[in-house]
Amino acid sequence: MIEIKNLSKNFGDLWAVRDMDLEVENEIFGLLGPNGAGKSTTVMMLTTLMKPSRGSAKVCGYDVVKESKKVREQISYVPQDMALDRKLTGRENVLLYAKIYGVRDRAEKTENVLELLELSGRADDLVKTYSGGMRRRLELAQALVHEPEVLFLDEPTLGLDVAARKKIWGHISSLREKGVTIFMTTHYLEEAENYCDRVAIIDKGEIKAVGSPSELKGELGKEASLNDVFLKNVQSKEEETKFNPVAFRNILRRR
Amino acid sequence: MKAVYYYFERDFRKWTRGRVNVFATLVRPAAWLIFVGMAFPAKFTDNYLAFITPSILVMTVLFSSLQGGTLIIFDKILGFMNKFLALPAPRESLLLGKILFISTRGLIQATVLLLMAAFLGVRIQSPLNIALVYLTLFLFAVLISAFSSMIGLKLGDHDSYASVNSMVSMPLFFASSALMPYEVMPEWLRTLARLNPVSYAIDSTRALFEGNIPAEGILGLAVAALIMILIGTYQFRRATVQS
Repeated sequence: MIEIKNLSKNFGDLWAVRDMDLEVENEIFGLLGPNGAGKSTTVMMLTTLMKPSRGSAKVCGYDVVKESKKVREQISYVPQDMALDRKLTGRENVLLYAKIYGVRDRAEKTENVLELLELSGRADDLVKTYSGGMRRRLELAQALVHEPEVLFLDEPTLGLDVAARKKIWGHISSLREKGVTIFMTTHYLEEAENYCDRVAIIDKGEIKAVGSPSELKGELGKEASLNDVFLKNVQSKEEETKFNPVAFRNILRRR
Repeated sequence: MKAVYYYFERDFRKWTRGRVNVFATLVRPAAWLIFVGMAFPAKFTDNYLAFITPSILVMTVLFSSLQGGTLIIFDKILGFMNKFLALPAPRESLLLGKILFISTRGLIQATVLLLMAAFLGVRIQSPLNIALVYLTLFLFAVLISAFSSMIGLKLGDHDSYASVNSMVSMPLFFASSALMPYEVMPEWLRTLARLNPVSYAIDSTRALFEGNIPAEGILGLAVAALIMILIGTYQFRRATVQS
């Protein structure tokens, strides 16, 4: 579904993504990494919003640079910002995408996705009255209205409460059963552990580990969690600057 | 190209649902018409209201089109733009939809103003001239909104854009043939006003109100609008996909 070869992106001297090789099949694939690791840059390149500096990537067999329009016909992208028109109703928000995608029988398809994401009852309310979880589901409805092959999700559960997160994950899992490939980024390792078929851990633009959560944990022994795998592969900014507990306590004492 | 209409429809719906916006944008032109048009003691004409009505029409379109530059900025900073650019429709339809919406909004405001002026006794002789007034204002709106969207996209945040807007809008309006004819202007202002694109729109509109047909002026505006759309589209393509 997605073939990434040598993919790189630099901003001046900084390599946001460097020589990435990755293959994603029909699965839920999670890209994990600390802030600034290159997750969003990777997604932007795969969704044709950013041109790679080097290397190539194919989505559904189409090159992201040379056949970018073909790629966009096959995919949907939900960024983390939650961009919905608050003064439009839920239905209008979905219908807009159905229209721009040129979906046939768009009224019917819109109803179907609203129903699928359990929003039918509130479809005629303005989005400003929606809760965070409902908004995220509405964004999924927008993304699904043209029946994409691959769905790109950037931090789909960010800022949602436990119940809303569980619901979103339920929907994502049922999409995979319907044959949709899901490529996502997340900070929540427990979620990746429970729901992703495979994950890749990325740090400073480079892939450090790829595999199913159980494979990756297995390498570290019985009791290991994905958290341990993550920490083994990733050096966070906090660690690099060497947190000094004694100095910290002294500062507190002086107050 | 259908996508242009869908993007237009989205902005239009949002605008009509903010009732305060609709009301507020109509008050300023009315204030000009009444407090300046009906009160200003001009010596060069005995019907200043008839003289200034075309200017206020153009001003309304000018300010509303300049203010329209913020629309694309908000789409960008609120994350809409990335979602839209990942759709298969031609990317520039987003920009063209914005220009179409801003221009249409300007014409609606102009319509209300025309009705107010008609109520106060200002008349246009033939239906053809009324249609040409709309065409002139539309071309001018396209020119300015393509320009403002381009600047908005370049600056990227609405605070900077608001400062640029307030810096540009007043000089553009006052250094034009809006408030007085060229004959009574001081020499230095006359030169500026002759160069100002706002004067072209005002002179054409005024000629139409007087019963003439300013073919050259309208054609000039059409060419300028077309060039600005081409430049705007080119810059939009460059600014939106980071290479």
